[in-house]
Order: sequence, then C-alpha cells, then structure tokens
Amino acid sequence: MLGRFAAAKRVLEIRELLTRRHTSSPLRSFSTALNYHLDSPDNNPDLPWEFTSTNKHKVKEILSHYPSNYKQSAVIPLLDLAQQQHGGWLPVSAMNAVAKVIEVAPIRVYEVATFYSMFNRTKVGKYHLLVCGTTPCMIRGSREIEDALLKHLGVKRNEVTKDGLFSVGEMECMGCCVNAPMITVADYSNGSEGYTYNYYEDVTPKRVVEIVELLRRGEKLPPGTQNPKRTKCGPEGGNTTLLSDPKPPPCRDLDAC
Amino acid sequence: MGLGMLASRVIRPTASKLSRSSSLHFIRPIVSTPETSSAQSQPQPDPTPDPPPPSPRPPVAGARVHFPKPEDAIEVFVDGYSVKVPKGMTVLQACEIAGVDIPRFCYHSRLSIAGNCRMCLVEVEKTPKPVASCAMPALPGMKIKTDTPLAKKAREGVMEFLLMNHPLDCPICDQGGECDLQDQSMAFGSDRGRFTEVKRAVVDKNLGPLVKTVMTRCIQCTRCVRFATEVAGVQDLGMLGRGSGEEIGTYVEKLMTSELSGNVIDICPVGALTSKPFAFKARNWELKGTESIDVTDAVGSNIRIDSRGPEVLRILPRLNEDINEEWISDKTRFCYDGLKRQRLNDPMIRGADGRFKTVSWRDALAVVAEVALQVKPEEIVGIAGQLSDAESMMALKDFLNRMGSNNVWCEGNGPNPDADLRSGYIMNSGIAGLEKADVFLLVGTQPRVEAAMVNARIRKTVRANQAKVGYIGPATDLNYDHQHLGTGPKTLIELAEGRHPFCSALANAKNPAIIVGAGLFEREDKDAIFSVVETIAKNAKVVRPDWNGFNVLLLKAAQAAALDLGLVPESANSIESAKFVYLMGADDVNMEKVPSDAFVVYQGHHGDQSVYRANIILPAAAFSEKEGIYENTEGCSQQTLPAVPTVGDARDDWKIIRALSEVAGVSLPYDSLGAIRARIRTVAPNLLNMDERELATFSASLKPDCSHKMSLTDFRPAIDNFYMTDSITRASKIMAQCSATLLKK
Amino acid sequence: MASTVAKYVLQSIKEKGLRGFYRELKDEGFLKCLSDGNLLQTKIHNLKGNLVGIDKFGNKYYENRNLQSGRHRWVEYAEKGRYNASQVPAEWHGWLHVITDRTGDELLMLKPKRYGLEHKENFSGEGEELIYHSKGHALNKGQRDWTRYQPWEPTKP
Repeated sequence: MLGRFAAAKRVLEIRELLTRRHTSSPLRSFSTALNYHLDSPDNNPDLPWEFTSTNKHKVKEILSHYPSNYKQSAVIPLLDLAQQQHGGWLPVSAMNAVAKVIEVAPIRVYEVATFYSMFNRTKVGKYHLLVCGTTPCMIRGSREIEDALLKHLGVKRNEVTKDGLFSVGEMECMGCCVNAPMITVADYSNGSEGYTYNYYEDVTPKRVVEIVELLRRGEKLPPGTQNPKRTKCGPEGGNTTLLSDPKPPPCRDLDAC
Repeated sequence: MGLGMLASRVIRPTASKLSRSSSLHFIRPIVSTPETSSAQSQPQPDPTPDPPPPSPRPPVAGARVHFPKPEDAIEVFVDGYSVKVPKGMTVLQACEIAGVDIPRFCYHSRLSIAGNCRMCLVEVEKTPKPVASCAMPALPGMKIKTDTPLAKKAREGVMEFLLMNHPLDCPICDQGGECDLQDQSMAFGSDRGRFTEVKRAVVDKNLGPLVKTVMTRCIQCTRCVRFATEVAGVQDLGMLGRGSGEEIGTYVEKLMTSELSGNVIDICPVGALTSKPFAFKARNWELKGTESIDVTDAVGSNIRIDSRGPEVLRILPRLNEDINEEWISDKTRFCYDGLKRQRLNDPMIRGADGRFKTVSWRDALAVVAEVALQVKPEEIVGIAGQLSDAESMMALKDFLNRMGSNNVWCEGNGPNPDADLRSGYIMNSGIAGLEKADVFLLVGTQPRVEAAMVNARIRKTVRANQAKVGYIGPATDLNYDHQHLGTGPKTLIELAEGRHPFCSALANAKNPAIIVGAGLFEREDKDAIFSVVETIAKNAKVVRPDWNGFNVLLLKAAQAAALDLGLVPESANSIESAKFVYLMGADDVNMEKVPSDAFVVYQGHHGDQSVYRANIILPAAAFSEKEGIYENTEGCSQQTLPAVPTVGDARDDWKIIRALSEVAGVSLPYDSLGAIRARIRTVAPNLLNMDERELATFSASLKPDCSHKMSLTDFRPAIDNFYMTDSITRASKIMAQCSATLLKK
Repeated sequence: MASTVAKYVLQSIKEKGLRGFYRELKDEGFLKCLSDGNLLQTKIHNLKGNLVGIDKFGNKYYENRNLQSGRHRWVEYAEKGRYNASQVPAEWHGWLHVITDRTGDELLMLKPKRYGLEHKENFSGEGEELIYHSKGHALNKGQRDWTRYQPWEPTKP
C-alpha cells in the first residue's frame, strides 16, 4: 500500500516536472535548428552561395594544411569560415558549397554541421550572445543572466531581435569556470575579416544588459572579467597565498639531468 | 535465425537442457551457466597441460574459413576452445568460426565496421573492460570469453539502453517476428528497465514509394547509411544531430533513388525501415517461403517467395555468393504485385466481331491445331518470350520442328543470333569473377539498369581495388567513377586500332574485363561490332588460359537458355511472311511486322502488349507458379519452384504445347517434367546441372571473320525504364509508382 | 380473478361488438392460450404486471416487483405461435435478465449508429434460406470474393 502511494507520488512529481518544463522555460536545445531542413525563402538549396574572393584564398590556405587525398578533413574550418562570411549561420547552399570544395557528398557535410552546436543552421543576430549553462556557471547564476538578457531583448532563446542585432543561445562549458558566470559574444557584424569571439566573464544580470547596450551603440568593450576588482582570473583584491616563488621539487636533482 | 532459436531455448529451459545433454550441439546456448570458466578454475593437476581442444561446434551459419596465406593463421581461444583464424579477422568473426553467435546490431559482414551499437561486447582476458568484438582485431593467443557474467551483464546493460528510447509498438510493427531487437532482447535482455522519463520521438522521413520509415523505432545502428554509401552508391542518408537528438535522415527532402534501396529493409535490425507495399499485409510467421529464382533480369538472383494461400506477399533475397550475395534489386523485390494484376485466366478466342470470347481448352486447342495444319510449314513462326523457362522453349522448338518449321527464336536475341559459340553470349568471367578484374570496358551496356546486381559487383570491385571503368554508350549515371569514352562504334574502332588513351589502361591491366551489352544483339551490324570487340580483347589479352574477361551481359532471363537450346530462326525476316505466329509470352515483338492476315496465338500469363493482336489466348503460369529451369547471364542454370497455384484455368507452358501437339497429330514424346528434362539433356546437358556454372569450352576466337560493314550510329540504351521491362513489371502498380516518382528528372 | 376477467370480457364485447371481440381474442393470442399453457400463464401474469415497454417488434415487457425475485420480469412475445428467446433484441435482453435496471428504450441510445446491425432472431431449423452464414461460409457464396488476382479484361477490340 505504501509502495503504491509512493509510486503514485512519483508519477505526480514527474508530471509536474514535465508541465513546468513546458510552461516556464523553453526545452533545452543545444543547437539552433531541427535535424532536418525545411525550405524557406532565405534558406533553400536553389539559392546561390559562394565564398568571397578573399575567403577563397583562405579556403586554399586551409586546404593546404591537409593531404590532397584527405580534403574532407577541412570540413570544420571551412564550415566555420562559411558561417563567418554568412553572418553567423549556415544555409543549405553554403553547406553544399563546402561539400563541393572538399569533394564529398553534401550529406557528409550536413552530418558535421548538425553534430556541432556552434554551427548555426538558422538565422542569428549580428551579435550572437552565448550564455554558458554548465554547472559552475549555473551555480553562480547563469539562469538569471539568461533571463535578464531574454527579458531585456524581448526574445526567446535562439530567436533574433526585430532589428536583427542580437540573439541569445546557450553554450556548454567554455573553460571560464574560474570567472563564472560568463557569456560569449560572437560578433558577425563585420564578416569573416572582423569576426571576433569574445568572453565576458564575472557578469551580473545588470552588467549583461549594459554590455548589450554598449554593443548596440557599437562601442568597444575590453573582453575578460567584468569585475573591476579582479585582474584576469586572479582572486579579488590580489593574491593571498602562493606569494613567493614555488620551491623546486625536493626529490630530484633537475640540474643533473 | 539462430538467435530466434536461442530465444526460444531460453524460454524453455528444459529444452535447452535436453539438447545440451545430447551430442547434437548445433547452436551453443550463450545464456547458460558458464561451464568453461568453472573448468578453468579447477586446479590443473598436469604440469604440462594438453593443448586446448578445437572447438566442438560447427561455425555459425556454416561460415567458411579461407586462409589466403597459411602462414598468416593465428590461434585464438574462444571459451577455452582453440580456433585458427586468418590474421586480420575480428574477434566477432573468430567467435563465429568457433561456433559462438555473438549478438550484434550494427555489425554486418558486407558493410564497413561501425562499432556503435556495443551489443557485441565480450570479455577478453587481460583487458580491463569488455571489448566490442566487431571492431577488435583478433590477436594471437587472445583468450575470448563470451559467456562470463561480465559479458552477459554488459549485453544486458546495452540492451537496456537500446530499449530506453525504443517504442513498445511491436504489436503494430511490421518487423515483429523477424526483428533482431525482439530476438536479442529475449535472449540477452533484462525483464525490466529503469527508465522512467519520456521516450524520444523522431519525425518520419519520406524515402519514396518502397521504403516505409518509422524513425522513432531506429536504434542508430547506421547500417542503412553504410549500405547506401558503400553498396548502393547513393550518398543520401546520413546521421544527423548528436546525443539523444541523433537521427537518420537526408537533411534535405530527398527520395532514395537507388535501384537497391529495398535492401535497407532487410538490413535494418528493427522496424524503422520496412517495406511500404508489404505494410500491414501479413505477419512473417503466416507466410510460406519458397526458394526460387528471379526472372525480371538475366542475373537470376536467388529469391525466396513468401506467399500466403494463393497470393505472393513479398519477395526476399536468398544468399548466393556467386550471383547476388545477399542483395536483390528493387525490381525483383517489388514486382510481385504484378503477379496479381492483368492475369490471363481463361482460354479466349477472338470472334468475328473482334471481341474475345471465353472458350474451353478443348475448343481453343482444336482451333489452334486446325489453323496450324492449314498453313504452309515455312509460314509458321514461334517466338519465346523473355520469361520463358527452358522446358517450355524446348517443347516449343520440338513442336514447331515437328510441324515442319524451324522459325523459332527468343525475343531479345536479335534477328540473327549466333548460338554456335557459347562463349559469345555468356558472361565468361562469371559475376563473382568480376571482382578479380582491375579494368572494365563497358560496351553499349548500362549495367545499373540492365542488371543491378552485376552493377553492384562492379561497384564493389571499383571501391575495393580502385578498378578503372571505361564506358562506351549514351551518357548515363553509373554510381561509381568511370570514364565516358564515347557514345558509339567510332570509339570502339579507335580502341581496336590503339589510338584511344584508354588502350594503355587496358594493356597494363592484370585482369581486364570487357562487358558487352545484349542490347547490341538488336543491331544489324552486331557481328561487325563483336569482331571489333574481339580485336580489342585480343590486343589487351582479355582471354587467357587463366582469365577470361570477355563477357556478354544479357538482358532477359530466357536468353541464355534459348541460345543453349538452339532457338535460332532459319531466316531473319520470317515474321514478315508468317501466317501462323505462336507467341509464348513474347510481348516485346514488333507486332507491326506481323502480316494482318496472320493467325496469332498468344500463350502467356499477362494481358500485356501482344495480347491485343492475338487471335487466340492460351493462359499460362507465371514464374512463381511453375517449376522451370532458367539460365542466367553467366551460364548458371537454376530452377524456379511453384510458390502459389496457377490462376483460373491457366496451365504450365510446356503442358499447353504438349497438349496442342497431341491435338495437331504430332505428339511430343514427353509427358512429365522429368521426360522433358531428359530431352533437354540430349540438346544442352549443362542446363540440368542445377546451380552450377558451366564454362564455355571454346573461346570466341574460333569464330569466322565477319565481312559485315559497321554502321556508325551511336549505341542506344537497351532499357528505357528500369522498373518496367517485362509483362509482370509492366502490370505492377508499385513499379508504376516507382517509375513515376523515382525516375523523375 | 375470475370476476375481473369476466368484467373485462363483458366490457370489451360491449365496446367492440362480438366480432371485434373475437378478432381481439385471436390477435392477442387468447385463442392460442387454449392449447399453449405457457402463453396462458403469461396472460394471467400480465394482469398483475406493469407494462414497462414495447420494443419495435411488438414484444411487451412486464414487471411485477411483488413476485419472487427472478420471476418478476417477463416478456410476452409479439409472435404468438412460434416464439423463442432469440426474438428479444439485445437492448432488452439486459433488462429482462436482470443484468441492468435500464429498460431497452434507454439502452437503445447506446446502439452504435454507424455499424449497429438490426436485431435478427435465430432462424435455426426454419429453412436453409433464413439461416445466417458468416461471410466466408461455403453456403454463403457471392458475399465475399476470394479471388486474389485481377483478371485481364478484353476491353479493347
């Protein structure tokens, strides 16, 4: 009897979990699109797409890194280049163009592009803001940061603002846990030449809104920690330990080697 | 399947005990108490232990071990038994040779190794973790354990993960009963799972009119992706997304336009890819399987006709390493609904008003005999159709000869076929022999549409050995790299005179193969073309004592047997002066040539093209309803077996002709299939060596020189529509759908 | 009881005349009662019973709650000569056999509109042509075509 009661309670919990998930926050999705392509006016295989002449040199340079019979190894750098050129996202025709360059069937390129969440297959803003959602950042309040961004921009996750400037996505750990929480700004406003991918660390819900406004005005902002009391990833207010030089290892005579 | 039996054995433990105690271990129960490990744990009293005994079990599914180099053999131990395998084999293959069937989903012996289902985990001594046996090469002295608690637990865990996202819709799944996942979860799975979250759902894909997809059932074994890429040669399918969102798809909306797409139904271990025409028609245990031969092309693929009562419900491939491996073309697999449509089921006579009237066999035969006896013998013409078996062609030839005429031939063999030299019309290197070739020259043939299984072999060779392919003929899409040398006889002459750059490739080849299409038989200058091809063959040393690479790729199932039996017309234009035309299922005959006052008898199973010109119709049996010998393009004779009863009042072809001969007063001296085969033995004994390839004894070089002039008109494609080539496929609705959707350019 | 019967008879004769009374006797099966004890018993029961409903075949359903349980519901068949239990339609069966207290008229609403078949009594022993055969029965030719192929039709001349 007790067991049945517990089971019923568990079912209720699960149901509650499900309904809450659907209503309050959008489903956790790693990439910006479905795993299959739906034709739309700005994204269909009939649209022409080509690397720009400067990027064609870059393509040649990238291909030169790999043996000529393993051209397909260049798929990721080429997709990245195509994404930078196309304002932060990859239409089908761009993937087809990459497939042609590396001489494989288009599906092999689609496989790679759908696998990696940093390849966007739907439109993103000129500034694509990526909020780290992995555990350390989450503990330090990345959910609040994302909520603040979404509320300020008036969009949902992976949606582009009306002026086409911003979009917000989630990213897994980018290795800045020491300065958590952090966001990344992928700046596609200047094509592949002026492409930047900057980390803004130690952000607060207030600070991210300021960052957005700075970006909107086109002002430059030094990347890195946003906490003025810290330098890089050092502790707030300067070091308190490890003040002297580290001692050499005691058991081995390094000079004798 | 072995695993199914295994499953049933697990359910009935008494049965497994019984069979274990008997000496007949034909399948080894994997789920059982590990006897070997307990044996090993006992202290060995002997300081110098005997070498471990060889495995007492026969290899799984009769797998044969072939040692290319005897010194490369290595010894591994499977469950304590020693087994010798060639170097480079995987652990899974070694276990199979030792008679242990390892469960697997992603591994397929004809595809590349993926190693992503993890079902084949086994324990190897001195490895910290279970090893995926399909991807692990066997190393000398490796001690493999397949039934330890660790291996069993690993499989059970993998199975739990696989079933996590797999829907429990077996009752409505077409794969139910022949599903690897079902069988293996019975044998190796747990009886409960710990997954309480929501199952994943995936959008179904549209792969065309043949393959039905229920992608939620997919377990991501990627067999279909590898098949499409490696065997079928259409790189459309791929693995999209990552993690739990991973799915098989084409990304952009695309149909699977391959002539081998039906095979993904067979290799799919679950019900994700099933047959669309067969959907919800029957359960596999209701079906009766009949091992038969395909007649829709000249390859003679080995098939199993699955029938229930009077109807054929599906066609599946049968393993034959020499002909079709384990694949069949879509035309073979899905033509069966043509067997149920447009059937001729009663003898009919065209009355004076031009309408057909159903009559009895007695009246029909009497009318035919009367007309046949009235005309002059040289005005009698008999044409065998492309689906005719050897027995009926023998009977037709004998009947017409007794009537005094020798104008009998098989359609597709052209106006003046040459039946004297057998090497001049069969595939001398054999279909499996093509794998030894390193340069191919395709002359006027498009194997992809003419013989899809031969094309798969060429593709396999091109992939495995980087064989070069030169092609002469109209521009076409062969699914492998090839050089399009030219479109007609002009290129052929250049090649013969050594002016073409491809000549050097031919000359440097170790085993060059020339494949000539049977579409050229219809050309007037056929002899001239063949003599030019022979010159090329001579220059490139294609025919040697150890290698005969001169091949003719026939188009129709009856062609080879017809030429073996000597169905050659006395005069090429006999049809234009004919008064009595006997069509035995011949539908591709140009009926314009038949004089309007000629009496046309159509004996066949489908109301196709020639029926509309016929004066009398005699209904006959289709290939699924009769026992008959067919010889395929490589000269291997095989026989069909009746799977379903004949429809209506139809009879076997040879029986009709035998009865007719009796009515006409020229009785043929055979009353049974055995007797007619004894008659065939006197004409072409090779036709009775079932399932054996009879090599041609003399090479084509014995042929007298030909003085014909070669015309320079380009080669034409022999087949316009892959899906519709004979009366059965033309009657099929599925084939009509395929040609409407898949051939769209 | 006899007096009620006599009173009823006299009143009917007065209303309908002798001829009409005779017809009523015949139609209502009173004449059959003379040879059929079951029917007579039913008729006698009816005097104390409440008429609950009449189905579309004309069978009358009575109830008398004062009677012994199990005998308190009964039917008077419309057919007076050859009546049998299969003449009770499905909707009344439940009420009659005390499976439910809902009457057949109420249960009729549950009858599926699309595929609910008309009730048919069991004609066993009443002649071959009246007997129901399933679709595939050998005696039911023409109902289902077992031909599994489509013959060629010589339409074009």
